[in-house]
Amino acid sequence: MTFQWHVIWESLPRLLDGAAMTIWLSVVTMLIAIPGGLLLAFMRMSRFKAVSLLSACFVEFFRATPLILQIYWVYYVLPAYFDIRLSQIGTAILGLSCNISAFNSETFRSGIVSIRKGQWSAGRAIGMTDRQIMWHIVLPQAVLRVLPALATTWVSLFKDTSLVSIISVADLSYVSLKIRSETYRILEVLTAMAAIYWLMGYPQAKLVDWIHRRYKVTE
Amino acid sequence: MTISLAPFIASWPFLLKAVGVTLFISVFSMLLGLVIGVIVGSLRTYGGRFLDVTLGFYVDTMRAIPLLVILVWVYFAFPMLTGLSINVTAAAIAALGIHLGAYIAETIRAGLTSVRKTQMSAALALGMSRTQAVRTIILPQAVIRMLPSLGSLFVFAVKDSAIASVIAVPELLRQTQVVAGNTYRPFELYTAAMLVYFLLCFPVARGVDMIYKRVAHLGSS
Repeated sequence: MTFQWHVIWESLPRLLDGAAMTIWLSVVTMLIAIPGGLLLAFMRMSRFKAVSLLSACFVEFFRATPLILQIYWVYYVLPAYFDIRLSQIGTAILGLSCNISAFNSETFRSGIVSIRKGQWSAGRAIGMTDRQIMWHIVLPQAVLRVLPALATTWVSLFKDTSLVSIISVADLSYVSLKIRSETYRILEVLTAMAAIYWLMGYPQAKLVDWIHRRYKVTE
Repeated sequence: MTISLAPFIASWPFLLKAVGVTLFISVFSMLLGLVIGVIVGSLRTYGGRFLDVTLGFYVDTMRAIPLLVILVWVYFAFPMLTGLSINVTAAAIAALGIHLGAYIAETIRAGLTSVRKTQMSAALALGMSRTQAVRTIILPQAVIRMLPSLGSLFVFAVKDSAIASVIAVPELLRQTQVVAGNTYRPFELYTAAMLVYFLLCFPVARGVDMIYKRVAHLGSS
């Protein structure tokens, strides 16, 4: 068989636009999912049973169902049954953010819980309020502890953005699959897509390993 | 908004069969992943520097490339390269398995290296061979410690099997799309599919946690 790699060079600008969309989607989703995850974590630890239960249901549900189905659900059900109309990108970001917020909330919760009870007692002993203890003592330490887990979530988010191609958001996978069907150079285009993902993802995977080594908790 | 249960009454055998396909793909991709994971994980731990680096490249590559990309590559590009035709379900199991295998390998390596080095030294000092030491001392503790991660990876296998709908494997998500398309009832069908996935995944996740709590002491040293 003959390879026609020139197809790739010709479509490179489009592929790079797709890659830019992939990066943009990951960044925006993470920017929403960090406060989202924190909010869910605080709700989960609330003294009001109903608030805590609501957060628990949200988190468990989004963690135990496939992201691809969540994206379909948001895409088909919200406009048809609740009359909420979002653009495709809006739909993609909503689906991704709900999913990643659920994962982040568990990360934050375990980080907050991991700070020893003694630190709360010490804070109270010097007259701080619970809120002050949370913001000035517990959270700053928890953030460093959850950094490795957040980095891991970031890499899986980066990969998961490929799933929004099913609702025609022009990310790297969508663009590649489209070029594939236009040019019929299946092998070349799919290999190029994998290579571009690899070039972007491999350094991130290595960075995550470094963060894990650097911020490993040793007590 | 009215909710209609008619699509389920008409097509439940079709959907039930799809749940079976989802389970089939999840279980077999997990098994393939375990085979790859055990080999890669133990070779990276005990196989010396060269194997560690080479197999590390495979693991990091799988961590870097989305499953969807691996799936379409295996199904569309691989047959063009080799001239072999490949069945959709086999392609899905292969793609999920090689992707999952990398994560299982990392779990196994983490479990094996979590058992302190001194235990290996102690076993060698008692005159055991390395294989004996791994089999009778290290592995029994490591397996217990790997349990929670392996459980969550199985949950991932079930969830990721839904991505196989992209290459039209007749699993739950794909067949839900088919019925939703025919009946114009996306709300009921997608919601039901969500519930089914939840009922498959949640008990597994919680069940593994519960088993782990019971046996965790066996893995501590």
